[in-house]
Amino acid sequence: MDKTININLGGTLFNIDEDAFRILRDYLQALNSRFANVQGGHETVEDIELRIAEIFQSQKGLAGAVTKENVESMIAIIGKPEDFDTSGSESDAPVYTSQKKRLYRNPDDKIIGGVSSGLAAYLDTDPVLFRILFVLSTIFFGVGFFVYIGLWIALPEAKTESRKRAMYGNAYNRQGTGTYAGNLTLDGAAITNTGSYNNTSKLGNALNEVFRALGRVFYIFLRVFAIIIGVSFVLTGFLFILCFVMIFVFKFPGIFSINETGINLVYFADFLKYIVSPASVPWLMILVSVVVLLPMIALIYWGVKMIFWFRARDGVVSLVALVVWVMCLAALAIIGFNEGVSFAETGKSSIETVLPQTPDTIYIITDHKIADLKYEKQISLPHEEYSVFLNEEKKELYVRPYLSVDPSEDKVTRLEVRKRSTGRNEFEAVKKTEALIYNYRFIKDSLNLDEYFTIPEGRKWSADEIGLHLYIPAGTILKFDNTSRILVHTHFHDENEDYLMSRWESETGNWIMTSDGLEPLSSKASSRK
Amino acid sequence: MDLENNKAQMRKGILEYCILSVLSRNSCYASDIIKELKEAEVIVVEGTLYPLLTRQKNAGLLSYRWEESQQGPPRKYYELTDDGRKYLAELDKSWKELVESVNLIRTR
Repeated sequence: MDKTININLGGTLFNIDEDAFRILRDYLQALNSRFANVQGGHETVEDIELRIAEIFQSQKGLAGAVTKENVESMIAIIGKPEDFDTSGSESDAPVYTSQKKRLYRNPDDKIIGGVSSGLAAYLDTDPVLFRILFVLSTIFFGVGFFVYIGLWIALPEAKTESRKRAMYGNAYNRQGTGTYAGNLTLDGAAITNTGSYNNTSKLGNALNEVFRALGRVFYIFLRVFAIIIGVSFVLTGFLFILCFVMIFVFKFPGIFSINETGINLVYFADFLKYIVSPASVPWLMILVSVVVLLPMIALIYWGVKMIFWFRARDGVVSLVALVVWVMCLAALAIIGFNEGVSFAETGKSSIETVLPQTPDTIYIITDHKIADLKYEKQISLPHEEYSVFLNEEKKELYVRPYLSVDPSEDKVTRLEVRKRSTGRNEFEAVKKTEALIYNYRFIKDSLNLDEYFTIPEGRKWSADEIGLHLYIPAGTILKFDNTSRILVHTHFHDENEDYLMSRWESETGNWIMTSDGLEPLSSKASSRK
Repeated sequence: MDLENNKAQMRKGILEYCILSVLSRNSCYASDIIKELKEAEVIVVEGTLYPLLTRQKNAGLLSYRWEESQQGPPRKYYELTDDGRKYLAELDKSWKELVESVNLIRTR
């Protein structure tokens, strides 16, 4: 060995290896504290030291250094202080002054968290009592479970000897758990094997065993449950992140086409830049990413924690993450509000065209159809029959106008084109309506119009709307083509509105204007017969 | 109930009696006592003995004298005092009674 130390043991000098010395020193310290409070303890230690010297000499002779092995075999012969079988006698049990009792969880006698036996130690009763109370109140009211968990969290564990003493208070030495001296546990076997059973009845012992077994089963059940939850957390988290990446980074179609609502989330990001001001787009993307991804990452982390059942000092990190998340959410709300303001005010403008002479039959013909347009993406608002079509190349948006046909009161055929947009103020909104491009014209007895109007390049969508209000005298026949029929949002002023609506869906399109509104021509003709 | 604990408790009760009995035959030093007690399987580790010896000596049951040893440090030779002999006689009597009582119960 590298280093040896000279020591004087029971009047004899020994050369001892450094590592052996450390063990010996600890052993002697343990002896000293074991006998510190015992009458004649000092003498006892001296006797033992003499014996140690004797053992070393018989092992080594006087030559050579004492090794670690020597010390270990010596300790095996004399025994550790906690193995000394002397605690049965009253006189050498250390006396403690009265101590204030405190409530702890008892680690030496526990089934789940040691709450019950801690309470029992505090109130100087049997833990079984509390165990039964907890189980019963859990079964019948469910309260016990939460009270137990709460106490488990709130109460510290009596890990150290001083805490154990405080847990039992003055009853400590009377407990069957043995006597304690300093940091040494005497009669160790009795503590670990019997716990506080010595004071318990046979029934109590049996119940203790049963609860112990139940506790183990419960613990295993809990672990399995935690692992299942953990795995589902991790899977959910990964799945969400995968979906998010697919949608917003790779624009993977097909995953999130929610056809029922008509909102195609896949293209949401593409539409974003036509809805908000361009400067906000990158910010929104980052903020949405953080707001969505951060909880998912947290979910995965919790899952992993539950699976592997570890504790980590993640308080600060969690707090920072939470603050970041809340701040992102707030920023998102501020930007959202700011963008929302640009939709605050509505502006309207309208143009009226009057036909000098009303023909018997008016044909409503579609010039340009959306089907013929080059558009890549469509986003529809549910239940509003409002769709926006996007041409990424031209950076144009297309929207369908609506057509409303009503009887005119002055026997004159008129077309009123009402445009509507939104903006920060009315003036801006009106300006926006004027920029909307829409083509329509009267040619002889036909009204030629487009199926869409165009929001020009570089202008974002502002909830724009164009309404075509056609007023025609009663008795005029209207003929729609298949496309223009779609545009009509006419209120049928008739008691069998539903019937007419269904006719509207199926009829190919000859209608007659009455003073009450449109009616299918065929039904009118048949009713006249 | 714990069997080992029970056995240990029994041993504890008779240990002091055994020490006095060993010393009643002739004076001897700690290792001799240990040897006998170990053979009889009354103690497991030597450390148990030393505090008991100290206590019995302080109670006036034992006295000791130092003797030089050729192999090592000087040894404490213990012997019974007169008080110790009286005390042992009482214990002998009590032990006999105890054995009888136990036998009576066991064989009934």
